[in-house]
Amino acid sequence: MKKTLALSVLLLCFAMSSLAFAGVALDTVKANANGVLDVLKDPKLKGEAGKKVKEQRIELAAEKLFDFVELSKRTLGMNWNKFTPEQRKEFVQLYKKILKDAYVDKITSYTNQEVNFTKEVPLAENMVEVQSVVVSKGSEVNIFYRVMKKGEEWKVYDVVIEGVSLINNYRTQFREILGNNPPQVLLDTLRKKGASK
Amino acid sequence: MKHACFRKTVIVTLYFFIMAGLYCAAGYQSAYSEERVVSPPIATPEEADKGAIRSSAGVLAANKAAPEAADEYGDVTGKDVGGKPAAEDEYGNVKEGKEEAEGEGARIADPIEPWNRGMYHFNDKLYFWALKPVARGYKAVLPEDIRVIINNFYFNLKAPVRIVNNLLQGKFKFAGLEVSRFLINSTVGVGGLRDCAKECFGITGREADFGQTLGKYGLGHGFYIVWPFLGPSSARDSAGFVADWYLVPVTYIIWPPSAKDDLVNPLSVIVYTHNTINYTTFHIGEYEMLKNASIDPYVSMRDIYAQYRKKKVED
Repeated sequence: MKKTLALSVLLLCFAMSSLAFAGVALDTVKANANGVLDVLKDPKLKGEAGKKVKEQRIELAAEKLFDFVELSKRTLGMNWNKFTPEQRKEFVQLYKKILKDAYVDKITSYTNQEVNFTKEVPLAENMVEVQSVVVSKGSEVNIFYRVMKKGEEWKVYDVVIEGVSLINNYRTQFREILGNNPPQVLLDTLRKKGASK
Repeated sequence: MKHACFRKTVIVTLYFFIMAGLYCAAGYQSAYSEERVVSPPIATPEEADKGAIRSSAGVLAANKAAPEAADEYGDVTGKDVGGKPAAEDEYGNVKEGKEEAEGEGARIADPIEPWNRGMYHFNDKLYFWALKPVARGYKAVLPEDIRVIINNFYFNLKAPVRIVNNLLQGKFKFAGLEVSRFLINSTVGVGGLRDCAKECFGITGREADFGQTLGKYGLGHGFYIVWPFLGPSSARDSAGFVADWYLVPVTYIIWPPSAKDDLVNPLSVIVYTHNTINYTTFHIGEYEMLKNASIDPYVSMRDIYAQYRKKKVED
């Protein structure tokens, strides 16, 4: 529980700190990820007790860490314009739920990995890619966080694992559905997927 | 022996011709399939009609709402879609669906989708019913350190593939590094059991394969193909796989002695399978997670393959 709090505090700190210059992006993502790892490695956190609370904390932290609207827009691309304002809001919520369902369990099961932050690469004005390598026995995985400065905050809008961009991957899937179906069909599909959890 | 060698050459030549033929066919079809990126219709025609009405109403509403920009739920403009500021211009006249061509560029033609979907499901079942349980049992029996050693051994065995392809790609420095890695690991590392080059001397190499080499020389994927047992590939990368197969020493160890001297001899199949099982023990759960996270697992895997290989070629 204590560790859960520590995790969410860390994540909150990350999200709320106002960062004026690049270079800070790496440090913040690093501090954040290491904080999460410390919590995840803690043996005291095992067990069902408090799991719900833990998940809620992570969700709250994710909310602050990621820019889900930006993520949604980039995923849908021009298809975003086909959605009504209400549909857009619903899409962001459904998409968020799917990402949460898919990755929270995985994140909380990390144990013996070591994360090394290697460098940050400017992508464009106010956009930076923070590069990291996750090392575990028998494998090394490159995980790059693409962060964007929104106002005073750095927010993650894409995660690239071994060259595979999360938003590009979903874009391809959504485009197949939107290719010959109206937005409502995509929303229904996402709703069904979310409900099956 | 000579005869066998000749036969091998013929097989490879034929294979390349077939692949080249398929590639041309794919080129012919790709324009068609690019447009056709279609998933099985999810809505019944009725529903679709209703949806279309709703959505056109939606577009109207969206257009009306547009002037109140600043709203974060507003329409996307070029800058929201592309990675760079330059994208603003690129995306200025996207309206006709052109963004598909330039958005991320990691697309792959899929003219034989029905076959591929079938094979995807076959491999999916193969994973859950055979590979995963076997890998789990194997993992329970063999300690992690031993499995790491086996991984190292097989990785070292494939050094010729990396050396030759780094050379072909003009990466002479990496080819040299891979040579030194191979020499160090084969000797000090006791036949490749330990990655001493990296652990003792900090020498890291660069993975390279012939599909990637072909890509470097400008050859596209051709089309996506899912092979039973071997998994996702493309016309180009399948040809690359065969070429690389010839650079792995195991291919030349004919065992059992009665086996025909051929492209696929029992030993190389056993080694390939064992390598796969050993490798899988370190990656159980990854496929499950990706599948679980996807809306259409087949499309997701295809896109992952396309993105991953694109990165390799650009690397």
